[in-house]
Amino acid sequence: MERTLAIWLGWSLSEKLSFLIKSGIFLSVCGATLFVTLASSYPAVHDTLHNVRHVLAVVPCH
Amino acid sequence: MLLGANASAAELSIDLKTSPAVGLLRPFADPVSISLLVTYADGRPVEQGSVDIVLDAPRSGAFFSTDFPMVEGSRLLELALPLRQGRAGWKYLFPIRGEYLLSVSVTAADGRVTAKNFVISILENRAKWLWLSLLCVGLFFFGFAAGRIFTVIPATAATSALLLFLGGISTVNGHDGRSPVDKAASPPTALEIAGATVGKPTRLRWRAPDGGNLITLLSLTITHLEKGKMVFAMDGVPVAKQYLLDFHFPDGAEYRVSSLAEVPGKEPVRTVQLVSVTGVEPAVTAQIPALVFFLALIALGLGVGRYSKISRKR
Repeated sequence: MERTLAIWLGWSLSEKLSFLIKSGIFLSVCGATLFVTLASSYPAVHDTLHNVRHVLAVVPCH
Repeated sequence: MLLGANASAAELSIDLKTSPAVGLLRPFADPVSISLLVTYADGRPVEQGSVDIVLDAPRSGAFFSTDFPMVEGSRLLELALPLRQGRAGWKYLFPIRGEYLLSVSVTAADGRVTAKNFVISILENRAKWLWLSLLCVGLFFFGFAAGRIFTVIPATAATSALLLFLGGISTVNGHDGRSPVDKAASPPTALEIAGATVGKPTRLRWRAPDGGNLITLLSLTITHLEKGKMVFAMDGVPVAKQYLLDFHFPDGAEYRVSSLAEVPGKEPVRTVQLVSVTGVEPAVTAQIPALVFFLALIALGLGVGRYSKISRKR
């Protein structure tokens, strides 16, 4: 996708830069997912994953 | 297991015994019977007196939090028990791992006072470390797979699909009380419980129904309803007019507090009260270390995955 965008914009994108962009997006999504599942207080998520949080020993819960 | 040693004052000695032994205790597993034995230097038990007991929770860890961060470093229990044949005992469920500080102050009938501190170390449940390890391995390989997929080698460029394997997550129901403080008391109760909030001790006050004309033997039990576990209990404590107990409810859940008052020659009076403890969200500073650690594992997997693909194609 990032290559298509780069071609469309007329940029040349190295493989390393491409990897960094994809990794950055990937880690952002993973971070958001981890936050929602393990740290958010949204009741539906919290109640569903409450025991998971406790069983991981290092994830705080209320 | 005996943890005690002679107290600083040469005359009285305080010994602490737990059942099961401290090494076998795990947080939020089973309640432990704790008993104190107070003796004179010659080994005779101190027949009469009282014991003031204060239990403080372990301090916060250097990096990782426990699963009950609001409990860390707080006062968990404050109560006074009478000595009977030199003994005083109660049951308690330790909520988190770490080193608890139990401060005991004994006042004998003749006015002599002795104090001693005990450190009780509670190890984390091994199953929890196992689950944490499995998650860490899973996150690493998740990153590893992504690292290989994101690394494109021109000569062999191929379309790859990223497999998301976020499955197998337990869907066991959590808790959460109904309302901040919900009390459902059975008939006119002798038990008064202040609004319970995680993070600070809650005062429980029991008053003798007849104004305290007779000595009552009071038994008090606090039960975590969701877990079905007794978290505190004391049995047959002689009380005159009232009894005060400061108890820290460790999590925002529903608890049942029951008391049984026995007066010789009268019918026992049982009181049951439900307490919905208000949960408090953990501070961000307690949440961030675990999230950063998990994210770092994925990032490490990304790097290793990329390296493995590049090195294989060379």
